[in-house]
Amino acid sequence: MQNIEIDIRGQVCPSTLLFALKEINAHNGELRDKSVILSFLTDNRDAVVTIPESASNMGYAVSVTKREGYYVIEVRKD
Amino acid sequence: MADMLQNGGESGLTGRKDSHSPEVERLQRENEDLRQRYAESVQYIRSKINQLLTVMGTAPLRPEELDDRTLIELDPIGIISGSFSQVLEHLHETNEQLKAANNEIQAIFDAAGMGILVIDRSMKVVAYNAKLKDQFFPERDVSEGFACHDMICNLSSPLHECPFLQVFETGKSVRQMRWKLKGRYFDVVGAPIANLGEISGIVIVYMDITERVLAEEALRKSEERYRDLFENANDLVQSIGPDGSFQYVNRAWMETMGYGPEELSSLTIFDVLYPGCSECSSEFKDIVFGDKEGRIETRFFTKDRREIIVEGNINAVFEGGKRLGARGIFRDITERKKAEEILASERERLAVTLRSIGDGVITTDTAGRITLMNKMGEDLTGWSQEEAVGSAITDVFRIISERTRTCCENPVEKVLKDGNVTELMSNTVLITKDGTERLISDSVAPIRDRQSRIIGTVLVFRDITERRKMEEQLMNAEKIDSLGVLAGGIAHDFNNLLNAIMGNIDLALLSSGRGGEIQENLERAEKAALRARDLTTQLLTFSRGGAPIRKTASITELIRDSADFALRGSNSRAQFIFPDDLWKAVIDEGQISQVVNNLVLNAAQAMPQGGTVRISAHNIEVPSARAGELKPGRYVRITVSDEGTGIPHEHLKRIFEPYFTTKIKGSGLGLATSYSIVRSHEGSIEVESDVGRGTTIRVYLPASLSQKGKGDLDVLPVCPPGSGRVLLMDDEDIIRQTTGLMLQRLGYEVELAADGRETLDKYKEALSNGRRFDAVIMDLTIPGGIGGREAMELLRGIDPSVRGIVSSGYSSDAVMANYRQYGFAAVLAKPYRKDELAAVLQEVLSGGAA
Repeated sequence: MQNIEIDIRGQVCPSTLLFALKEINAHNGELRDKSVILSFLTDNRDAVVTIPESASNMGYAVSVTKREGYYVIEVRKD
Repeated sequence: MADMLQNGGESGLTGRKDSHSPEVERLQRENEDLRQRYAESVQYIRSKINQLLTVMGTAPLRPEELDDRTLIELDPIGIISGSFSQVLEHLHETNEQLKAANNEIQAIFDAAGMGILVIDRSMKVVAYNAKLKDQFFPERDVSEGFACHDMICNLSSPLHECPFLQVFETGKSVRQMRWKLKGRYFDVVGAPIANLGEISGIVIVYMDITERVLAEEALRKSEERYRDLFENANDLVQSIGPDGSFQYVNRAWMETMGYGPEELSSLTIFDVLYPGCSECSSEFKDIVFGDKEGRIETRFFTKDRREIIVEGNINAVFEGGKRLGARGIFRDITERKKAEEILASERERLAVTLRSIGDGVITTDTAGRITLMNKMGEDLTGWSQEEAVGSAITDVFRIISERTRTCCENPVEKVLKDGNVTELMSNTVLITKDGTERLISDSVAPIRDRQSRIIGTVLVFRDITERRKMEEQLMNAEKIDSLGVLAGGIAHDFNNLLNAIMGNIDLALLSSGRGGEIQENLERAEKAALRARDLTTQLLTFSRGGAPIRKTASITELIRDSADFALRGSNSRAQFIFPDDLWKAVIDEGQISQVVNNLVLNAAQAMPQGGTVRISAHNIEVPSARAGELKPGRYVRITVSDEGTGIPHEHLKRIFEPYFTTKIKGSGLGLATSYSIVRSHEGSIEVESDVGRGTTIRVYLPASLSQKGKGDLDVLPVCPPGSGRVLLMDDEDIIRQTTGLMLQRLGYEVELAADGRETLDKYKEALSNGRRFDAVIMDLTIPGGIGGREAMELLRGIDPSVRGIVSSGYSSDAVMANYRQYGFAAVLAKPYRKDELAAVLQEVLSGGAA
């Protein structure tokens, strides 16, 4: 399974969300056939709420891991 | 396009600023309008993007965040649309999943084995499954909106205590166990349905446990029944743990053993076993810890240390292969044991009784087969019990008629046939196993059980051979006795007559003078009368059993006469040896004569071919050291020996028994009488015999201490004439006359009296006149009047020195034998001769006999 890391650090909402959604939409098929995991790196604290909520509404499993100075939001299909 | 509108518009329009042509103005206006409309469009897009971002849950775009160009290039609407389409797709999937789940739940709902009801807050039915319908309203369909209390509880309104009302109040599940609804039992659980923080309804599950309840009920009843059985059983039921402790005992156990329920916990099986019975304890250990099981008989000790005997069964209890203890059911058989012991001792007693009984006893079954025979039965039939048991009674007990010598009907068969007690005819002969015949008498009785059914017979029989012989002998003896009585009576009368005859002959001889034919005739008549007197003496001796009238006498002539008399007509002869100085003996001559007669007769009979009977007499002095049967003192011993067949040793002891005889025509009384006579003379009799060589019998008779009056008794001295007064009493006129004359001839003065009364009167009168009688001769027996004995008593009352002489033809009378005891001075046996009368009177009057 491929883990695609997308660094959106420095962006703030709502553009972080839009970027994330754009990436999710772009990898829709791969995510659904479980060949890809998307990991968003963000330093925007709001995105830690907005991205997981939107991704889970879209039917994805989301986990958030805090790193040094940023967060990793991992999106995958269960 | 927005860029183009901004940039192009400025450069294009500023270039032609000075020429305000209408076209330019129009275009400027148009540009302004377009710019306005663009700005409005961008604003619209931004607002829609913000709206979408808000829907997505994020903040709206800030104006500085994205310029219009970047915004358009970023295409947020496109992004969000793409995301929406994924959201929709996800919702769609979720929806599908929910549908499937719903279907699943519905299937479970319908297929559940228990009734499920969903109600809302107003207790109205929301849903129910098929099982619930089956359970509560199989006949109809219930539409939603019906109240549950109506459907389930058949109530118009819910009960105040309805448990489901609590569910709405508390929000917690409730469980109702064994709820009886519509005749069935349910376990019911109500669980709240929470919806958005409040309870919108309840799911109620009804589990039908009727079958289980009924089964439990049945089990409980069954257990009760068994407990009832155990508790009310009369047998002792116990359950013991592996350590011997009691786990359970029933009521009968406690009642019998005397323990209360509270005492059981500290009690073990070993406490109730007899402490001294080590094998009892080990037996139980075997059962509890080992492999032994089954029937057992042992003893228990009750609380008050009473011993009881129990019988029962023991079973080990296993669980998972492990021994948990033992169950036991016992019965108190103490009473039964006692009864058995009594029965056994009774049986033993009966067996001993039967064994020692003097009669033969045989019992048979109903087929006539012998079941038991006692010892005497064995002796009489010659069959042993072992041989006899199982044999037919007709084989062992073979009987024939004594007279006809033919078979009799077997009495056992007769009893089995008609059921009555049967006595056998007395003339039945039993033929023993070895062919010996026994005369028997017997009886047979049926043995009946409690229902009076015949279950066998008992035959009792005895050997009557000896009894028959005894009976015959007894009959003979009775015959002899009656002859004796007859003879005694005749002899008495005869003696009176002889007294008259002899007296008159004596008188005639006195009158006739010496010599001449008349004297000879009278002497012959006198001899004949004397012979007649001997005969009556024999008759009297034969008839008597009384005491001897003993006198001092010489016995040589007595022996000679008796022996000669006995041997008369036989082919044997007697040889006598008597010393000259033989002492006189104190004897009843008649009786001793009979003894000699018997002994000589026996001696002669022992020599059928003839021979010599040796008879001798000797003086014997028995010293005190040799005193055995005889008292110390002087005796005359008479010895009678023969050369005959002798007496077998086994008979020697019995020859003096009455009725013992080996002779075909013997009475068995001869030697017995002799023995009795000798014993009554205080003498003894001895026998010595060698078979084939002969028999010797010795008779010891007491010798007289005073040897006064030597010479024969029979040769009386010539009496000097008497003098004195004599009173004669006799009821017989002829005696009074004859004896009166004899007394007168002898020189006495005589007065006569017919009975005691007259005697007394005359004696008193004579006494008062001073003419006292010197002697009174009194007949012993006066029919209908005062006899000699009573008269003597009365006379002694008047005159103690009266001299009485008793006279009688009944010489066997006790008064005659012991006359002195009755006050008489002398005795005069009838008939008597004148000389005898003279001698007695002379002795009495001289005071010799007084």
